Amino acid sequence: MDPGLLKTWGMRLLFVFLALIIQFFHLLPLNPAPSQWAGPDVLVAIIFAWSVRRPDYVPMLLVALVMLMADMMLQRPPGLWAVLVVCAAEWLKSRERRQRESTFVLEWLTFASTLVVITMIYRAVTMLLMPSPGVLGLSLVQLLMTIAIYPVVVAVSYALLGVRRAAPGDVDRFGKPI
Amino acid sequence: MAKNGTNSEAYTTPLRRLLLAAVILCLLGLFFIWRIDSPRVERFRAAVIDRVLPSFDWAMAPVTATVNLARDFRSYQRIYEQNQELRRELRQMSSWKEAALQLEQENAKLRDLNNVRLDPRLTYITGVVLADSGSPFRQSLLINVGSRDGIVDGWATMDGTGLVGRVSGVGANTSRVIMLTDATSRIPATIQPSGQRALIVGDNSPAPPIDFLENPDQVRPGDRIVTSGDGDVFPPGLLIGQVAQDPGGRLRTRPAADFERLEFLRVLRDHGARRVSNPSALILPETPPTAAPTTEPDVDATTSEREN
Repeated sequence: MDPGLLKTWGMRLLFVFLALIIQFFHLLPLNPAPSQWAGPDVLVAIIFAWSVRRPDYVPMLLVALVMLMADMMLQRPPGLWAVLVVCAAEWLKSRERRQRESTFVLEWLTFASTLVVITMIYRAVTMLLMPSPGVLGLSLVQLLMTIAIYPVVVAVSYALLGVRRAAPGDVDRFGKPI
Repeated sequence: MAKNGTNSEAYTTPLRRLLLAAVILCLLGLFFIWRIDSPRVERFRAAVIDRVLPSFDWAMAPVTATVNLARDFRSYQRIYEQNQELRRELRQMSSWKEAALQLEQENAKLRDLNNVRLDPRLTYITGVVLADSGSPFRQSLLINVGSRDGIVDGWATMDGTGLVGRVSGVGANTSRVIMLTDATSRIPATIQPSGQRALIVGDNSPAPPIDFLENPDQVRPGDRIVTSGDGDVFPPGLLIGQVAQDPGGRLRTRPAADFERLEFLRVLRDHGARRVSNPSALILPETPPTAAPTTEPDVDATTSEREN
């Protein structure tokens, strides 16, 4: 079997596995009391970080399925956050070629602004369509935490999982430049 | 950009766009279906969770136990202070126990005189907490008893002492409990001893505020709050908690249930509870007042089918 293809599918499996692990830890009934504090949305950070680096590791259908599953498991309105994340990830992927030469700070800013935009759309839609959209402060905390965790996610993906940008000479399995 | 326009790229890009559009349409469609016919999609969600989560269970219980163990271990560091504190509390408790024993004897005598039977309808099923809602925006729990064990939507759940919430969403093996701290929870309550009616309005905080109180002057911090049984939501007389006042002067509930540590929940069987089967049943009467008394039976059947 082609080693490149094997590696791509391995990373896709790893992505699904990571998503399951993250949801598992979200669902642990450690402290059921309400808190004024919200953890970061690590799954979204992973999807965006990988979309910017190696779009082929997070194909669109897989992202849609994983996010829909997360919506179902975490009691969110099904489909809404998933569709926003899919759109944002595809937009980031379309910019991937251009970003290849940019610095990390610029990438972080792009990530932050993308996340702010989809969070705002999400808040607006839930406020229009749902009886109890949830506490605004918690959304803000979660947004800031996710932005703060992004460099960590990038560093771990880079160092431990080997998700790094395609180098100028790299070719995919058809011999095309990536 | 060096794009060597191979044939495959010319085909895959429009195909990918089409796929993206299809995925977006599907997800948005699901969201709007959920918005329009939420009970059906929520049932689907309950079924999905019912299928997925019990397979996580083998890992969830030990990990939760390990994390809790680590937390307990941290509390060993101040074990001496805790010990002193507990001794002090124990001294207080022993005097209370004496009082309680005397009251119990008195109570038994009075009951005997009155020939009272405690409500036999309120039996309970105990379930283990499997998972919480997984997001800080929703306060709910998943327990390991479901329709297989006879759980019905709308039943009250308690921990050992106080009300925790209401069953909402029942799968075959699991059911979801919306806690009274959730932002969608509204519980009709009576405040004793003044007998004031009020609503406990969950707002995603540990101490839900008390709303729609007739006369706040008659209510003081420390009063007991119990369910009132209004609207057949809960059986009357279940302990919710105590009245507390926040620095802003607003009356809030200090729940009797220990929300920090919920491991087991009691689901009270309540056969008098009102069943909400279709979305409009909460507001509209079960059978609409018939303006035209004679309708053909087959027309009736189709409309009721559509409503369900």
